[in-house]
Amino acid sequence: MRKVIGLLMLLMVSLMSLTAQTTTPPPQTFSATVYFDYRHFLASDGPVTLKPAAATSAYKNSAFLFRRAYFTYENKINDDLKFRFRLDADNTANVTGVTLTGDPITGVTTSTDGKLRPFMKHLFLEYANFLVPKMVLNVGMIETLTFKPAEDRWGYRSVAKTLVDGYRDVTKKDILATSADIGVTLKYSFTKFFRVAAGLYNGSHYSKEETDQFKEIELQAQITPVAGFSIVGYMDHERKLPVASLPDETGPAQSIYKIDAFFERIKDLVLGVEWFSFKNDLYQTAGEKYDVGGWSAFGRYTIEPDKLALFARYDDYTPNSLDRGLDMGLAIAGIDWAPYNKSWRLQPNIWFYSYKDGTRYNASATRDSDVMFNLTFFLSF
Amino acid sequence: MKRAKIFTALVLALLGLAGIAAAQRAKMIQIKGSDTLVNLVQILAETYMEKNPGAALAVLGGGSSTGIAGLTNGTCEIANHSREWKQKEIDLAWEKGVKPRFFVVAVDGVSIIVNEKNPLDELKMSDVGALYRGDIKNWKAVGGPSQAVSLYGRQSNSGTYVFMQEHVLGMKNYSTDMKEMNGNAQIIEGVIQDAGGIGYVGVGYLFDESGNVRKGIRVLKISNGGAAFSPLDKAAVDSGDYPVSRPLYQATKGKPSAAAAEFIQFEISDEGQKIVEREGFFPISAAHRAANEKNLR
Repeated sequence: MRKVIGLLMLLMVSLMSLTAQTTTPPPQTFSATVYFDYRHFLASDGPVTLKPAAATSAYKNSAFLFRRAYFTYENKINDDLKFRFRLDADNTANVTGVTLTGDPITGVTTSTDGKLRPFMKHLFLEYANFLVPKMVLNVGMIETLTFKPAEDRWGYRSVAKTLVDGYRDVTKKDILATSADIGVTLKYSFTKFFRVAAGLYNGSHYSKEETDQFKEIELQAQITPVAGFSIVGYMDHERKLPVASLPDETGPAQSIYKIDAFFERIKDLVLGVEWFSFKNDLYQTAGEKYDVGGWSAFGRYTIEPDKLALFARYDDYTPNSLDRGLDMGLAIAGIDWAPYNKSWRLQPNIWFYSYKDGTRYNASATRDSDVMFNLTFFLSF
Repeated sequence: MKRAKIFTALVLALLGLAGIAAAQRAKMIQIKGSDTLVNLVQILAETYMEKNPGAALAVLGGGSSTGIAGLTNGTCEIANHSREWKQKEIDLAWEKGVKPRFFVVAVDGVSIIVNEKNPLDELKMSDVGALYRGDIKNWKAVGGPSQAVSLYGRQSNSGTYVFMQEHVLGMKNYSTDMKEMNGNAQIIEGVIQDAGGIGYVGVGYLFDESGNVRKGIRVLKISNGGAAFSPLDKAAVDSGDYPVSRPLYQATKGKPSAAAAEFIQFEISDEGQKIVEREGFFPISAAHRAANEKNLR
């Protein structure tokens, strides 16, 4: 016991002397962002796609719903080096998830216990002016290139993920895209008109270890020919292990092709469109390969900075290019209001789902549309 | 029917909020950025509002980077900055459709100060750079007493931090031993309390309430290969003989609004420039004035 107390005292004295030596710590920041909803299903007890076919009674007409919490530590080591550690927690993170069946892609898990668990999202080093000026290197568990351009412009991750990010949540069709993965990215800005980026990752995404010998590559190019108008082209590619159910596919691969265009020339207005197509050799219907795709158009208008803004979006989903009965649309509109301080925001929003055929998602569906109201609480500090 | 009512109520609420906010917004000009400029612009804004009772301006600090980012993302109408924009800031502004217009509202001599007990009277620019890079760690190496050097500077979001790095440190990194302070006043306090201290501050922060250089510090003359000049020497700063001087800027998102233009016009007027001088900065040159007038049109 004495040894423990002695060691603790020694540690305290060491820490105190360290504090005395460095009166001002290096630029380090801790920050947190949290959002949760009060959700109310205006039509009935929940959109067709959210409602498990066999357990409709599990959904209530309204509920508070925890969505996300991020805890971030950043350390700007010097002008060129930055370190970030971010923990994420959501209500889908779980340790006892079940594997979705009826899909050639296995390993997709879904929440079973509903508990909120933190997991590591980012752990990376950023090296600016790497090798040459205007080149940036990121190494570690890093943000991928896939979602960021649209997410930055849409700006309301607290309300809804962007089209590609949220595709699986909305349609239940997995396009195997992720916001973070272990690997390396290199970004370079040639001029204000043209910049490029490339990434190399495990491809197994942030929540899993590497499962095969294949790596995912991502390539991105952005042109901004005139101030406030950008076009971003993106593609990724990864080979996958064959599956027993498709013996003819000996070297299957998957790719996402994506184009974004952003218009920010009008004061306080941001407009964006996003189109993508996902090709996966393992996605087949009766031996014929199908594509998964969609497009999204969104806008936000700032009435008063850090106080009040309006936003709206329409997403169009085609989960199976050979089966258009699964097509669906989703319109979102809402207000971003910071009544007291920008750290605390209220974001009331409405989601309108429209299904080409609601019964394709839920056999017991009696309609082809849904309406959902969320009062999103957004906190950052 | 119920759904239609709820939707209608929401739309009406939205329009009401938008109307209130738009009315509020029309009154207020948000100014954000450089901590070197914040006190000066605050005083200019207060004087301007006294003369123009209908005008409302809010002035915040946070550093040049904060102001530039605020202008780019639309959270302020005027950005104060004590350095030129970095290429990545220009690129981002281009991407966001922001074509900034720049106005020089004052000229600053970045003053190098030491504790009054330090007998040094002048330093070479290259020595100041070597001290802040950590290459020189004892005052004896530059003709001072045998005493450890204690560095005081700003945080990296400060325009002064970047200006010094670009113009004095030769684009190299600061010593990791440098104490990164929140503002000019904290640097001065640090140097007053520390016999081995050296700091850099805007010239406007050197004076006490009676207009004298604050007790406890010594303002060094700086040479750049030839004679040494003091930042307190207006003629030397104006002529560029004092080597660590810089223009202090404001930027707007394209052509300034009528309200913002009127305020900038006041800042660069004779009356505004008298306030600039009174607060310890130097007035703008005729060339700056001509460029400002052009950018206001």
